Amino acid sequence: MKKVLVACGNGVATSTVVGRKIQEACEEAGIAVNISQCKLMEVESKADNFDLVVSTGKFEGNIKVPIVNGISILTGIGSDDTIQKIINYLK
Amino acid sequence: MNVFFSIFDAIQKAGPTVILPIIITIFGLVFRLNLAKAFRSGLIVGIGFAGINLVINLLKGSLGDASQAMVKNWGISLDIIDVGWGAIAAVTWASPIIPILIFVIFAVNIILLIINKTNTLDVDIWNYHHMAIVGVMVYFVTHNLILAVLSTIIMALVALKFSDWTAPYVEKFFGLPGVSLPTMSALSSIVIAAPLNALIDRIPGLNKIDFSLKDAKKTLGFFGEPMMIGLILGGVIGFLAEYSISDIMRIAVEMAAVLVLIPKMTALFVEGLMPISEAAKKFAQEKFKGKKLFIGLDAAVIVGHSAVITTALIVIPLTILLAAVLPGNRVLPFADLAVVTFRVAMIVAIARGNLFRSILIGLIQMSAILYAGTLTSPVLTKLAGSVGLDVANSGLITSFAATSLTVSFLVFEAFIHKPYLWVPALLIVFFGTWVYVEKKKKVKPAIE
Repeated sequence: MKKVLVACGNGVATSTVVGRKIQEACEEAGIAVNISQCKLMEVESKADNFDLVVSTGKFEGNIKVPIVNGISILTGIGSDDTIQKIINYLK
Repeated sequence: MNVFFSIFDAIQKAGPTVILPIIITIFGLVFRLNLAKAFRSGLIVGIGFAGINLVINLLKGSLGDASQAMVKNWGISLDIIDVGWGAIAAVTWASPIIPILIFVIFAVNIILLIINKTNTLDVDIWNYHHMAIVGVMVYFVTHNLILAVLSTIIMALVALKFSDWTAPYVEKFFGLPGVSLPTMSALSSIVIAAPLNALIDRIPGLNKIDFSLKDAKKTLGFFGEPMMIGLILGGVIGFLAEYSISDIMRIAVEMAAVLVLIPKMTALFVEGLMPISEAAKKFAQEKFKGKKLFIGLDAAVIVGHSAVITTALIVIPLTILLAAVLPGNRVLPFADLAVVTFRVAMIVAIARGNLFRSILIGLIQMSAILYAGTLTSPVLTKLAGSVGLDVANSGLITSFAATSLTVSFLVFEAFIHKPYLWVPALLIVFFGTWVYVEKKKKVKPAIE
């Protein structure tokens, strides 16, 4: 089971949307995944427990875990590439 | 006909956890989802409301008593509890007139796009609550549907235009091209920030001041974690309420729980509304194929910027202090301390990252929010009670959203006091600003 942390400004709105999309894509690709959400400000203290962080905004902190910017999943422009990138990390 | 009425009556009596799934299902069907998907969406939203109600009960029960004890013991009269934007958004979505207002906002956007008066396509249906709440509150006070719709149209116009105007900041300062942010909780701050920043520019001495804080995150970082805010504030309030040690510890952990649980419940609303947003997006993008558009996103995408976080981390503790010392303020800042980043994000962009200005303007903005929250909390509390949020027995509620936001406050007040006078006045100021800003924008590239 891979663990993904999806972060956005309030840990509510855009992270829910992106989290659901990642969940669906992973189900299709046959990857078991567990998605958690948080606020961007919490990323640094939480990231270590996850395999991948996806943020919907610019993240400027320092973490050891790979991080993908998921804003294209919200706009729909370049969304497929980003999803593919996330899946490659989780394979 | 009688059967129809008794069904309607039964649904009405059952409350928002039943009304919401029905409204959202109908919504989904209108946006051409199939029945199963639409009903699933509706049910998730209903569950979200039930969840929010549970958490608000914990919050009101625990914090309500403590804040009243605090008033008695210390004379600190902060008896209006900030229950957070999520609970107020839930109230907005549970209003009987919400379907009308949502379509009005969507229609305003589509019409403005057709007549080329905006570049923003806002199909983030969930966030429509920031615009709709003003209509819901105007309707609650005046019982006049036309006024409610008009006030919502003005909110939508302001949100879309502010979103257009701030798109260059979003691109240049935050590095996000092609998007704009029609989120009123962030945009509202520019009516204070833009004039104040221009004023500071013209004050010799003051216009040179700036400083930077590299260690803010290290020393104040815990203010960025809702559970820590809850724990500390809960403990302090328990102490001021002169509780026993065990009760102080209990209220501290309960308040930490509230701040962690509210967003989880609110996220259910977003999840439920997602298929509807998707359908609206598909409809709009097909309609406007080939047109250059800003995709309207939640302002959540910019609040991770380090200057925004630094500003918020300093403004959060100072807001609590402001609440205690500002004469006439009765708002006890709590749940929405977690979203101060949204209130200051545009301020930071307009001040171009100048920390001194960001904090100064941020504090003035937060004061305005506290006062507007104090003034409008009686209406908001009654409204919340009327749609079934269980707040009836103890004290008043507010948030840093809804009519606490400067723009929403002004529109709401204009519509409930002499609308024939204030609404035209508001429109003149708004359209004046519109002409001024877009003229200035056209001149600029020629100079550069």
